[in-house]
Amino acid sequence: MYQYDAIDQQLVEERVAQFRDQTRRYLEKELSEEAFLPLRLQNGLYVQRYAPMLRIAIPYGMLSSTQLRKLADISCRYDRSYGHFSTRQNLQLNWPKLEDVPDILAELAEVQMHAVQTSGNCIRNTTTDQYAGVIADEVVDPRPYCELIRQWSTFHPEFAFLPRKFKIAVNATESADRAATQVHDIGLHIKKNDVGEIGFKVIVGGGLGRTPMVGVTISEFIHRADLLTYLDAIIRVYNQHGRRDNKYKARIKILVKALGIEEFRSRVDAEWAHLKGKESTVPMTEFDRLAGFFSEPAYEELVNQPESLTTKLANSAGFARWFERNTFEHKKAGYRIVTLTLKKAGQAPGDATTEQMQKAADLADKFSFGELRVSHEQNLVLSDVRQEKLEALWEAAKEAGFATPTLGLLTDMICCPGGDFCALANAKSIPIAAQIQDTFSDLDYLFDLGNIDLNISGCMNACGHHHVGNIGILGVDKKGEEFYQISIGGASGHDASIGKILGPSFAQEEISNVIQKLMNVYVENRSEEERFIDTYRRVGITPFKEAAYAKAN
Amino acid sequence: MPKLIKNGEIIENQYVWRQDADQEITANSIVSAQKWLSEKNTIGKVAGIWLDAGDGTECLQEVDLTQFNVIGIHFPAFADGRGFSYARLLKERLNYQGEIRALGNFIPDQLGYLLRVGFNSFQFNDDVDLDKALSLHSPFSVAYQGDASDPRPLFLRR
Repeated sequence: MYQYDAIDQQLVEERVAQFRDQTRRYLEKELSEEAFLPLRLQNGLYVQRYAPMLRIAIPYGMLSSTQLRKLADISCRYDRSYGHFSTRQNLQLNWPKLEDVPDILAELAEVQMHAVQTSGNCIRNTTTDQYAGVIADEVVDPRPYCELIRQWSTFHPEFAFLPRKFKIAVNATESADRAATQVHDIGLHIKKNDVGEIGFKVIVGGGLGRTPMVGVTISEFIHRADLLTYLDAIIRVYNQHGRRDNKYKARIKILVKALGIEEFRSRVDAEWAHLKGKESTVPMTEFDRLAGFFSEPAYEELVNQPESLTTKLANSAGFARWFERNTFEHKKAGYRIVTLTLKKAGQAPGDATTEQMQKAADLADKFSFGELRVSHEQNLVLSDVRQEKLEALWEAAKEAGFATPTLGLLTDMICCPGGDFCALANAKSIPIAAQIQDTFSDLDYLFDLGNIDLNISGCMNACGHHHVGNIGILGVDKKGEEFYQISIGGASGHDASIGKILGPSFAQEEISNVIQKLMNVYVENRSEEERFIDTYRRVGITPFKEAAYAKAN
Repeated sequence: MPKLIKNGEIIENQYVWRQDADQEITANSIVSAQKWLSEKNTIGKVAGIWLDAGDGTECLQEVDLTQFNVIGIHFPAFADGRGFSYARLLKERLNYQGEIRALGNFIPDQLGYLLRVGFNSFQFNDDVDLDKALSLHSPFSVAYQGDASDPRPLFLRR
């Protein structure tokens, strides 16, 4: 993975010093609340319902075991011994003290980490596929391009005070879009043109929140050398023309919609004409330098399905189930990608205790070259596990609470921290996740239902991506009481779509029951091998609606 | 006379920012670009013009900018970042090489970014302590992107 040189290190250290001084001036009342707000946000620091929340950047989800141990250590010494992995591959601490944050940032800098631009109206952490670099069918490894974007966006002097937050995600394979690129402000799809040159299809104006939209294609192909000048052009147009009078209409998606993609594209092209070919054009030497950080680890020549694996698969239904759900095909024979799920019943989705973080770091060292990834679905990934070691890893993962074999199933929920922590939330989301986990605990049934994305957000800001869940649950406030609106038909992959609201909202205790009814409609209507989303797309919303609101006889 | 920070020093402010259109215009006034554009044939000599957020820089495309000693850019609120693009466009697109002055509600903690996009003078609101502001002048000694001091991104200098 990327290693800082002296310049990268100097930048994060200067940032720590800057924020230490800003915090001191705030505490000494030299800086007003209003002035401190965007400064602390650009360092990932929110003030939440009960305490500050610090969001630590995990650039495109890559973590070394050393870094994860540091996060574990910080969560123990400065917080309540756990952290929350977010949908944008970051880690959130829910209980740090504001005055401790400069020290936390200083400790992060020791392991080449930071909290730069994890919040605020600026360019946020760039995200990508958690399987980047280890799957067979990707165009190229997207991570060097993510690092290029990370550096370009870090302290970009022109774009630190945009109309609203700005999120970029990168995908590099036709077979899936695990980074939900179409619901980002900019989605980049790495591709090759007719003569084999690497570039990007650029999608703009996707996003969730109050006005969810799937992005539209602004360019079919931007050569990789032109990536940064093209991004500069898009964001320069947005910075000047995005709405600033209403924060709910300030995202780039509203501008793209208002102008129409043709007009927006022509403005970007007009801007780009001045920038293309200039200094920010990326030379081959830089691509080579960055790619050098993501070279293959020392793989051994192995074969697929070694006997130790096939024997265990035949003899242990539990292992076979875990293998089927929680591991994924690796580009190298004899290796497998393993997801350590953070979806254990009784634990909030995406949460990991200090002990679990330490354990995951140990497992990475023992089984996967000392590296991990954080996924958009709020799990951890060991990307390079030898197949003959899978059984040993499974045993260890079970012990640490990482082996719930439900990856991609109904209970592999995306869930925001909700009203238990977040000051913005209208309703709690964690108890809903707990209720669903509790009700749908029969693994045979979950396996039979197959792939279903269920996403929960505690408010319209949609941090839990409820719009793009096959089933989405949104917390709403009804005269001071917490209710939940359910939508179906959302998707976040290449077939991205925004879910449709089923109808009036439900009380908290009704949720599992409603989900059960939706599942019943699916099971009755599905054809062989048909996923929930495909059945929904074929039969439409009506049967689901009727079942959900049918009066009991 | 009020002071300002220019080229890293606290100096006397020789020009007067005319924020309201009906104020008297003299040779040391900085007048709004909109007013200047509509009255340019009669307005006479001025020190410079200022752009408000929302004006953009395209309105100055046909104007000989060398006649101005200063071009101001107004920040109605410090979180309104349009002025960052305007400064860059003035310098890089319209090739204006004179003084670019930040006006209004920007804050000292933005100085690093403001300098990098091409501002070189800063007329803070009266409540800002300029000595303290000056100490925030350059929070970072290196940068990834090209900027007003060097158009080359770090990857061309690394």
